[in-house]
Amino acid sequence: MKMQPHVLTIRKRDATKWLAKLLESRDVIAPALGPCGEVLFSKVDSPEQVLWDFENPLPPPKQFVLPQTDPIVRIQQDNHRTEVAPIYDDRQRVLFNVRPCDARGIAFLTQMHEMEPADASYLRRAEKLTVISLACNTPCRLGFCVCSDSGPFLSAGHDIQLTDLGEKYLAEIGTAKGEGAVSDAAGLFDAATEDEVVRRKELEAEARGHFGEETCHFASAMRRVSTRRVADALWERMSDWCLECGACNFICPTCYCFSVKDRGCNGTWTRCRTWDSCQYAAFTLEASGHNPRAQPGERMRRRFFHKVSAQYYVRDGATGCVGCGRCIKVCLGTTDMPAVVAAIRKGAWHGQ
Amino acid sequence: MDNDAFLPQIARIDAVRDETPDTKTFTLRFREPEDSKAFRFLPGQFVELPVFGYGEAPFCIASSPTRPDTFETTIRRTGSLTDALHVLGPGAEVGIRGPFGNGFDVEGARGKDLLFVAGGIGLPPLRSLIRNVLDERDGFRSVTILYGARTPVDLVYKDELKEWETASGVEFHVTVDNTLPGWTGNVGMVPILFTKTTLRPESTIAYVCGPPIMIKFVVQDLFMRGFREESVISTLERMMQCGIGKCNHCAIGHRYVCRDGPVFNFKQIRELIE
Repeated sequence: MKMQPHVLTIRKRDATKWLAKLLESRDVIAPALGPCGEVLFSKVDSPEQVLWDFENPLPPPKQFVLPQTDPIVRIQQDNHRTEVAPIYDDRQRVLFNVRPCDARGIAFLTQMHEMEPADASYLRRAEKLTVISLACNTPCRLGFCVCSDSGPFLSAGHDIQLTDLGEKYLAEIGTAKGEGAVSDAAGLFDAATEDEVVRRKELEAEARGHFGEETCHFASAMRRVSTRRVADALWERMSDWCLECGACNFICPTCYCFSVKDRGCNGTWTRCRTWDSCQYAAFTLEASGHNPRAQPGERMRRRFFHKVSAQYYVRDGATGCVGCGRCIKVCLGTTDMPAVVAAIRKGAWHGQ
Repeated sequence: MDNDAFLPQIARIDAVRDETPDTKTFTLRFREPEDSKAFRFLPGQFVELPVFGYGEAPFCIASSPTRPDTFETTIRRTGSLTDALHVLGPGAEVGIRGPFGNGFDVEGARGKDLLFVAGGIGLPPLRSLIRNVLDERDGFRSVTILYGARTPVDLVYKDELKEWETASGVEFHVTVDNTLPGWTGNVGMVPILFTKTTLRPESTIAYVCGPPIMIKFVVQDLFMRGFREESVISTLERMMQCGIGKCNHCAIGHRYVCRDGPVFNFKQIRELIE
């Protein structure tokens, strides 16, 4: 799927035509206004619904590659004879105007599911999803993507990355899938000029300049987490603030822990994969009643080991955080990523 | 990509044997002969066993790869899935995914003295290896089996224990924590059996499996008696959902009990960081 990246431009007024073209052959999922006026990633019916200037929705677009309840096997039992068949999602879809952090999140999930043994149901769905991201000329209020190399612009891993140049959008094509999404409407695109490519670089530098000093020091937390040099007492103090609601897991673009359940009755069942949370006590509860992570502090230690340890960094080539800042917004207990990373660095939580 | 990791094969229950009041051994046979042919496993590996409508859970394979065609798994009734499984009889269909996990290093054990220490329902995973070893008895040196359970009723594989007691080439000792009328054997925790046998720490691989508290005391005892961490081996248990290192339920640090284990030696266990 790798190809020589090339760069095109499209006039802003033509972007609507492009979207109309995409809508003819694919489902288009984009940030759009929800029923109560909130911004949500959802399937759109017309190009006008797609938002270009928006605050990143609280639920990330991971639900479109990893649905909260994901049917994977159909089970049918008649006269004591059982038949099972896999369920695949083969819809051609475009994820339009997602932010770089979320595009990175999806790339992270795909890489995880590609690891042997590969997960066919996920990969078939992801294979048919084209991710078109919109670079952030202006950083969002809570984002810290610069700390985990996930924004405000992507340098690799995107199918298409759009940049707002004022009159036009610059479109960097990164993969054959991206190529497919522009070739349907080839007449709308021009090759980018050198000036336009330079302008994109300037915009990236400006955007990076808007971030203050680094807010989430992964490297120093990683050293401590990977060698178990964070005191158990500190995890305990922090976990006192955690409500164990699991919201941080569910809105995290890279969290993918799941459980497998059968749903249905009377001989017809659907085996579903459902999101689960490592912050729930039952996550590790065994049938015998034994629970290796019975204490909230142990569960919090687990979460941050998976996110920022060197062991996982070596395996995945990235931290399990894309710096989108959603956990800051959603966590009522203030045990979000930057806060916990800071506490690990200082060895103290709320001064204690 | 069609070989979906979550798609179970169908197996039929061939026979059900009561082991204890809450534990049964199920003999399973794949419905499709090609599934049976493709099913190759090592002692110590496990399967995910879907009971349709209830979900699935991991169970160790309790029979030996030296006896293919069917395989056995010994299951205690502890929840909704195992409740549902325990009412199934011969002919009923369940699913099988696997085998999963690393299994015991049978080749590495050849030519060594083998010591098996099991507690209660910890015998089934070791029984797979024991039967494998006894079927290829010439390849191994001494075989010592020490087994304990809470009461005489809780001993599994009662017929087989009798065979081991009398078999040549096997040293077998059994004990119970609490005696019942009619029991004439040893009474006490498993470590008391160490005094009944001659241990050869330098040439022996010890396989320990049982409840956490029993493992703790047995292993302490073995180290005191000169065993090295590398030659004491156990199988770990964790809550599991997928069996292929993806769902994260069984993760310890960046290791996965389902994929990197469940068989670990105690040096590896000590080095698990989280």
